[in-house]
Amino acid sequence: MAILAQLTANGIIAGSIYALVACGFSLIFTTTRFIHFAHGVAVAAGAYLLLALFSSLHLPFIVAVVGTLILSAALGVLMHRGIYVPLQNRKASSVVLLISSLGILIFGENLIQLLFGANVRTIGYLPASRGMDIIGAIITPLQLTIIIISIILLALLFVLMYKTNVGRNLRAVADNKELAAIIGINHRKVTTIAFALGTMLAGVAGILIGLEQNLEPTMGTRLMLKGFTGAVVGGVSSVPASILGSYILGLVENFGIWYLPSGYKDAIAFVLLFLFLLVKPAGLFGKDKGVKG
Amino acid sequence: MIEAYLIHLAILIAIYIVLAVSLDLALGYTGLLNLGHVAFFGIGAYTSALLTKSGVPFPIAFIAAGLLASVFGALLVWATRKLKGDYLALATMGFSFVVYSVLLNWTSLTRGPLGIPGITKPSIFGMAISANWQYLIFAGIVAVIVVLFSRRLVSSPFGRLMQAVRDDELGLKVLGKDTFKIKAKAMMISAAMAGIAGSLFAHYITYIDPSSFYLNDIILLLTIIIVGGIASVKGAVMGTIVILLIPEALRFVALPGSILGPVRQMIYSLVLILILLYRPRGLFGKVDLS
Repeated sequence: MAILAQLTANGIIAGSIYALVACGFSLIFTTTRFIHFAHGVAVAAGAYLLLALFSSLHLPFIVAVVGTLILSAALGVLMHRGIYVPLQNRKASSVVLLISSLGILIFGENLIQLLFGANVRTIGYLPASRGMDIIGAIITPLQLTIIIISIILLALLFVLMYKTNVGRNLRAVADNKELAAIIGINHRKVTTIAFALGTMLAGVAGILIGLEQNLEPTMGTRLMLKGFTGAVVGGVSSVPASILGSYILGLVENFGIWYLPSGYKDAIAFVLLFLFLLVKPAGLFGKDKGVKG
Repeated sequence: MIEAYLIHLAILIAIYIVLAVSLDLALGYTGLLNLGHVAFFGIGAYTSALLTKSGVPFPIAFIAAGLLASVFGALLVWATRKLKGDYLALATMGFSFVVYSVLLNWTSLTRGPLGIPGITKPSIFGMAISANWQYLIFAGIVAVIVVLFSRRLVSSPFGRLMQAVRDDELGLKVLGKDTFKIKAKAMMISAAMAGIAGSLFAHYITYIDPSSFYLNDIILLLTIIIVGGIASVKGAVMGTIVILLIPEALRFVALPGSILGPVRQMIYSLVLILILLYRPRGLFGKVDLS
């Protein structure tokens, strides 16, 4: 029983992080219709920016966090305006955009390695603390914070998407780019907002992971693959579906290692990704549209 | 000293020429957006290494590497037969991640992250290829055969069918051609060559581990064939030479090893992004990537 509770808790913690990665990714995908793998860079950048601002420059923690979030959003806009928009102006296909995003991902990962070294780093804001016992599962206060912050942010994202003008525009572009343009929605502006917002969410994921685990340059790629898998499992073409898929992935991974050695965690995700792409590319809850092929 | 280094570089170029030309057959000529080519390279490398370790003579292991990779090529085309565009690209990349995690986790066979050390240098019919200059001749001959074969292939009737699949699959179907069969054959040839390249790599480096067959190498391969220009054998060859030589310029500024690795990857990915932005058809490309 205790192990069941623990695995569920671990699955939800992992799922919360994946969901933050996936919802930003999916937000960008639904408005721009291409696979932005470089989203992973933003996750790693979030963690390393916090390391630089807080641990190296010794800024107050809150200032460092706010700075990280602003810089994350700026990074998203930079990638969009600096690389994707020029490519789209050249009428590049979505595969070209996908390949260029892989290029950005590898570039960013290695830039981080160059600047911060290949060794693992720690932010060390919070001392390691004893876990609390919640129905048999041991959860540290930080892990509980991660879950709560993710849920709050995801709820805020829903409010934004469904109760505000910005959200309405985002959904309109996601729904039908041409029609949205006809009624006067500025496509460039909306996709820029999607990039700023989505990348900021990736920055939050990076910060939370940076507080809980060690930092390494390859963390962005690893989390991107997890977030992307979560999005595919749920359905890339819908933000809520991606979030659900991420929690499912977190749970499946953690229950999987009940039977398999823990090294198989990543393998479970990769196999799920491959199978879903082959058999159910629209995902479990996704709408069929938006899936080409 | 410098001589030994140039020979080393030339061997790597020969191996990557085989790999790049083979990817171009599938991705450039047939229009199969295969982002998981590195998996065939890995399958070939492990097959050849493990077989020779258990006493199988090198020529048989070398051929087996190509054959097994080819079988996986056929399976991949079959599994992804309904996918196009982005989804084909993602699924093939997903395939390479699955292969990577199998190599990493099937420890009883592959020793996982520890890799396989002490892979023997090849010996062909009693003739040992132990010195690097001998290996260069061997790898060079293989590369030349692959290049000549590929040039013949793409201008053969079957080569024209491959390109027709890329340009107008529906039209070809209307003419009564089995496009799946053409794609499967093209991918099997492509994968077999990549498997052979894997064998060449494993027996030259003499140590392999799963990390050589992951995202970094996918980027390197894509950079090579996009810089060279897709659907051009000459482009793939020139792309390999250019891309593998560019980072070597760094040797002259004597950067420490810990910096050299990331800088090299940054150069590859930066070149990839810049070429997509400013010269999407590369040096000799005839078609756009779509």
